[in-house]
Formats: sequence, C-alpha cells, structure tokens
Amino acid sequence: MKLSTLLTLVLALAVMTAPVSASAAGKTLDIVKKRGNLRCQVGTPSGGFYNLDAKGNWYGLDVAVCQAVAAAIFGDKNKLEIQSVSSQARFTALANGESDLLCRTATWTMSRDTQLGLDFLTPDFYDGQGFTVPKNSGITSALQLKGAKVCVTSGTTSELNLTDFSRVNNLHIDIVTFEDWNVRDDTYLKGGCDAVTGDKSSMAANIASFPKPADHMILPETISKEPLGPAVRHGDNEWSDIVRWSVFAMINAEELGVTSANVDKMRASSKNVDVRRMLGVEGNLNEGLGLSKDWAYNIIKQVGNYSEIYEQYIGSGKGALGIQRKGTLNELWSNGGLMYSPPMR
Amino acid sequence: MAIIKTERTAAIAPPLSETTALGWMRKHLFSSVFNSLLTIVTLFIIYITVKELWVWGIADAVWVADNRRGCFDINVDGACWAGVIAWLDSIFYGRYPREELWRINLGLFLLVIWMVPLWLPRVKAKISIGLTTVFLYPFLAGYLFSGGDKSISMQIMVTAAIVCLAANTVHSIIGVLTGRSLPEFLIRLFGKKNAPEKSQRYLLLGILAVSLVAVYMFQMGWNVENVSWTRWGGLFLTLVISGIGIASALPGGILLALGRRSKMPVVRVISTSFIELFRSVPLITVLFMATTMFPLFLPEGFILNKLVQVIIAVCLFNACYLAEIVRGGLQTIPRGQFEAGHTIGLGYWQTISLIILPQALKHMIPNIVGNFIGLLKDTTLVSIIGLFDVLGMLRSISKDLPWLGLHKEPLVFGAMMFFLICFAMSKYSRHLEVKLSTGHKH
Repeated sequence: MKLSTLLTLVLALAVMTAPVSASAAGKTLDIVKKRGNLRCQVGTPSGGFYNLDAKGNWYGLDVAVCQAVAAAIFGDKNKLEIQSVSSQARFTALANGESDLLCRTATWTMSRDTQLGLDFLTPDFYDGQGFTVPKNSGITSALQLKGAKVCVTSGTTSELNLTDFSRVNNLHIDIVTFEDWNVRDDTYLKGGCDAVTGDKSSMAANIASFPKPADHMILPETISKEPLGPAVRHGDNEWSDIVRWSVFAMINAEELGVTSANVDKMRASSKNVDVRRMLGVEGNLNEGLGLSKDWAYNIIKQVGNYSEIYEQYIGSGKGALGIQRKGTLNELWSNGGLMYSPPMR
Repeated sequence: MAIIKTERTAAIAPPLSETTALGWMRKHLFSSVFNSLLTIVTLFIIYITVKELWVWGIADAVWVADNRRGCFDINVDGACWAGVIAWLDSIFYGRYPREELWRINLGLFLLVIWMVPLWLPRVKAKISIGLTTVFLYPFLAGYLFSGGDKSISMQIMVTAAIVCLAANTVHSIIGVLTGRSLPEFLIRLFGKKNAPEKSQRYLLLGILAVSLVAVYMFQMGWNVENVSWTRWGGLFLTLVISGIGIASALPGGILLALGRRSKMPVVRVISTSFIELFRSVPLITVLFMATTMFPLFLPEGFILNKLVQVIIAVCLFNACYLAEIVRGGLQTIPRGQFEAGHTIGLGYWQTISLIILPQALKHMIPNIVGNFIGLLKDTTLVSIIGLFDVLGMLRSISKDLPWLGLHKEPLVFGAMMFFLICFAMSKYSRHLEVKLSTGHKH
C-alpha cells in the first residue's frame, strides 16, 4: 500500500510541475548574450554551404554567415554553436527557441515567410533549378525532355517545380524521386534516368565529382527562383536587424573594397567616409543595433567580405565547389548581379 | 575359458564419405541430381558476388589519395577507401576535439579494466564488480568525457569510482595470483588473521577511509577541459547512447514487468499504460517528441541538452520492450516456485531476486540480447534529429568537398563495423547461454 500511495503522490507532483506554459518572449539578443554563444541552425551537411571536414569542423557559405553574426555580437566568430537539424524539423527548431537563427539552403517563399512564423531576411545566395544531362544525349534544351525520366530528390521545392514545369510545357516527364542525392546521381550515372534536376549550384558541384565530368552538362534553362538566405523567428525586429545588417555589411564591404586583409589599414587611414562609418570610426551606426562600434569591423576582419566567403567555399578557391560567380545573380549589383546592400549611413 | 577378449578388435575404417573431402562433398553437396544442380548454381552466385566485391573493394581499390578526384585518377571503378581513412577519427570520435581524444580512449580502457575480472575464473565477488560497473563507472566516464568543473556530488562520485576501480583491479590481481579476495589479503598483510572480527572490520574500514580521503584530495587538483556534448559523435556517441540504454533497460524492464504483474492496482495500471504507450509508438516519433516538441513547453532560452533527452527517450523506450520480454520469461516459471519461496519464509523481493529471476533470466537471454542488438542499431535514428552518431558521420563524408559524392564506401565500412559489434554480442550471448544452462541440457 505504501508504494502505491507514494506513486500516486509522485504522479500528482509531476502533473503539477509539468508544462507551465511557454514563457514571455525574451529579446533574442539578450538571451544570446547571456548564454554566451549563438545557436545557428544548418541542415545535414550540404556541399559548399555547410559541411563537416575530416577534423570535425563546420565550414561553408552559410556557416560563414553564422560566424559573421557571432562576430558582430561577441567580437568572436567562434562563439557559435552550429546545430544540424533535419529538414523536417528545421522550422520547429527555430520556432521553439532551440535555434536563434536559421541559415541553411532554405528557399525564401511567400508561404514560408507568411505562414510559418518566421521571417526571411535577405538572400545570401541566389540559386535556380536546372537540369543535368549527358552531353552525348543530344539534348540542348529542357523543352526537349518530352517523356524523359528525370531524377529528383523528394520533399524539395525542386520536385514541385519539376511537376509544374512538366505540366505547363506539356512534357509528360516521368518523375523518379530519391531520398538521398547520392543515390539519385548514382542512378543517373548508371543510366537509370535521362536527366537530373536540382539547384544549379549543387548540380555543378555534383558534376565535378562525377568520374568523367566532361561528359555531362547543365542545360541553359533555369526553371525556378531559389533565393537562399538566413531566417529568424517572426516578431523580434531588433534581432532581424542584426542578422540582416551582418549580411549587408559583408556585401557593402565588398563594394567598398574592404577585405579581411586590408581592413586594419582601412580603419586606420581610409579617407572614404562610407568606410569610416561602416568600420565605426565615425558616426554611430552601431547604436541602432545595440552592438559595439566595431561590429562590422569584426565581421570583415574575422570572416571576410562577401566575395571572400563566396570564393572560399563556392567559387574558385582551393577546394571550393568551383561555381563561377561572373555573370550570375550572385554578382554585385554594380556588375549586373543582385547582391545589393542599402547604404550604411 | 575367458569370456573377455584380451586383445582389442582392430578398428574398422570409417566409410569414405566421412573421411575424405570428396566423400563429404558427395554426401552433402551432390547427393542427387537436383542437389548437384543447386550446389552448382549457388556456387556460381557466390563466385560472382565475391569476385565483384573483391575487384571493387580490394583489387581495384584506392587506398591513398588526397581527394575523390585523386581516387578517380588512379582507378575510376574501384572503391575509394582513402576518404574513409581520412575520416577515421571522425567516424570513431565524431567532432570531439582531436587533442582530447585520449580521454575517450582512456574511458574505454578503464571500462575494459573494470570488466575483465568478470571473465577471470579465480576472482571472487563478481556480482559486486558487475554492479559497480553499472553504478560507478558512468560517473568516472561521464566526467572524463565531458570535463569542466566538478560539483561536490560529482567529486564524491568520481572519488568513489576511482577507489572502487583501484580496489577492483588489486582485488582481481590478488584473486588471479592467490585465489583470495582483497579483504582477506589485507587482513593477512596486516597480520590480523586471527584477530576478532570487529578489529578486522575496523582495519578494512580504516583503509577504505584513508584511500577515499587520499583520492578525494588528488582529484580536487585534477580537472579536464570542458567538451560540450554537441561535439560528441561517431561510434563513440553510438556506444554511449546504446551503452546507457542497455545498462538501464534491463533493470527498468524488470521493474516494469514486475509492476505489470503486481497485485497493487495503481502500480499495475501505471506500468501497463506506460509499457503500452511507448510500445505502440515508433522510436523515431519518441525521439522527435523529446527533442522538438518538449522544448515548446519550456521557458524560452532554456538551455536544453538534446543528448540527455535522447538518452532518456531511448532508455524508456527500450525498458518497455524489455519489460515484455521479462514478463514472458517470468511466465515460464511455474507457480510452485513462488509458493515454495513463500513457504520457506522468503518475502516478495527475496523470492523474486533469489528464486524467480535467476531462472527466468536464463530463458530470456536470446531475446534480451536480440533486443540489445536492435537497440544498438536503432540508435542510428538519432542521426535524423541532428546528432552526429556513426551513421551521421558516415553520411557526412559524401558532403565534404574533397570527397563529394563518396557515399558507398563509408556505408560499406559502417556495415562491417556494425556486423562486427553485433556478431560479437550475439556470440557472447550464445556463450552465456551455454555457461548458464547447467542442468538444463535437453
């Protein structure tokens, strides 16, 4: 009898102390500062954007954006905890406060922005969906894919776009879906499908990893818009400002010719008033963000400007994906691309 | 006239089919036309598979290269083991800081030292050794792996664990050499063999107290750097999760099974609903609930330890499965055994622990080990919720830029690793069965 009384008591206690209710929303910046590190969410590793290396360190374009935000807040890009979350749980993990910031190749779409309680801030990479075909297939345009078997990874916007593209152009494409793109590419290489579809950036990287890259090509058509960028929980505007302007600072730095190599010199001796304002020598741009004066200096010094991180992970740097930036949307606006930062003044 | 022959009759040679390889083959492989056909077809299938595997995995394989392109340059068709080799540390230790790897190795080494006496025939008090492995080792290992500042309770547990490990080791060495236990040896050492029991006990307690204090002093100055659980990974993480799961699932399962058979309604209802609830939900759902839904109920900014949540989920889940196995085992014990226990004056817990469980557990070994093997393999599900266990690490290789697309080799390597571990467990269970089945050989 004693045991049963005890158990009843314990249960009653458990019910009483259990979920008290989600607490009042704290300011994300305060929470992050108090905790002492930034929790930045990425996905399961994806080439060029967020990868693990053989030593267990994270690297990639999105990881660099996470580092930039950490550098802006703490002055130390390593005060960062990278969380890897599967795509099924990604938005929940942001909504429940587990992550402060989501920075993974998630496409900014209207329904996600308006219905999921999150805000996409500014794209740090513009991608688009395309097709890979074997060169000897004679196919030179996506419109020639009538009745073709096309491999795609399931659960992505690529799959939906492909369906739309097939229907609109009356192509009757036979869609073959895969959970893992490794298997998708293997199937393609063994002749299991006539073409592969996916984001052009990742396909370029995948082709480069094929046994004979020269035998394959990406068709010229881009069938979708894929703006990829950081997202935060809806409702904390001070926090979105910090993340948004961390990205803008990198783009602006490229425009002004400030790099991680020359930023010290620029801060000490530049006469350009835009540079001086950005690096905190003049003016008080930092006050609106609630950060220290050298927030942008820390980003550029520790992480680099946009061109530097692009080349290091995506572009032509050693060991990078090898995707040309020239002529793409990822160029600066002054070179005909879409990378544009509002003036920092 | 002698009836008994004094000479041995010359032995008749066994039939050819039993001695020569040819005879054996004829008997087992080619006994009929149909069987011969089957043999040939099977041999052919084995030949193609093994040959393909050999050519891909060994003959054409590339062992040394800087990246996947380097592998292709040497041989396009073979396996590229160079990537797996470059990633070995990550596969085994995850993202654990490379200069701290010795801590994991030391932890594993201590576990082996702790457990070896269990297999040594002359060592006494094996049950206590087993119990301390389950209850004290985790504290020592836990501190070794995670590091940081020790709280008072952690300091006490670490001290106890170190003393216990030292006592264990000395005890086993003495046991192997002399067949005595540590207390007997100490009493002889101090010449108190014929002293009254009380003075012997005081001596032992004194030694224990002195060593506890000495070790406590020592460990106060011993600190290792904090390594966040987010850096744990690889096979190490898999073994941590499944090790804790295995160690806690059996006691939990026994308690739940006894609870379900209990005559007390509250206990029975709670145990039954708990078991049924967890058994009717897939593990992945439990993991998702534990890691993504649970935080919604907590205050914002609350520091959550996903690893602890996962471990608790795995433990509860497996305790429920084991509870049903244990219940099945308990049902094989005839009622007479319980009644016999009661008639000689044993209480409930004594009957259970001295009479019923020892018999029942013996029957359950195959099932229990089967469940443990399942648990080990199920832990790979944690890679879906973002922990980098061994599967997560193996899959990351194909996304690392130098090895982009390298996914078959890591998975083959992982399969071999899992096979080795699971096969060892299964062999050990077989060994236990044989060892424990004395008097039950049918």
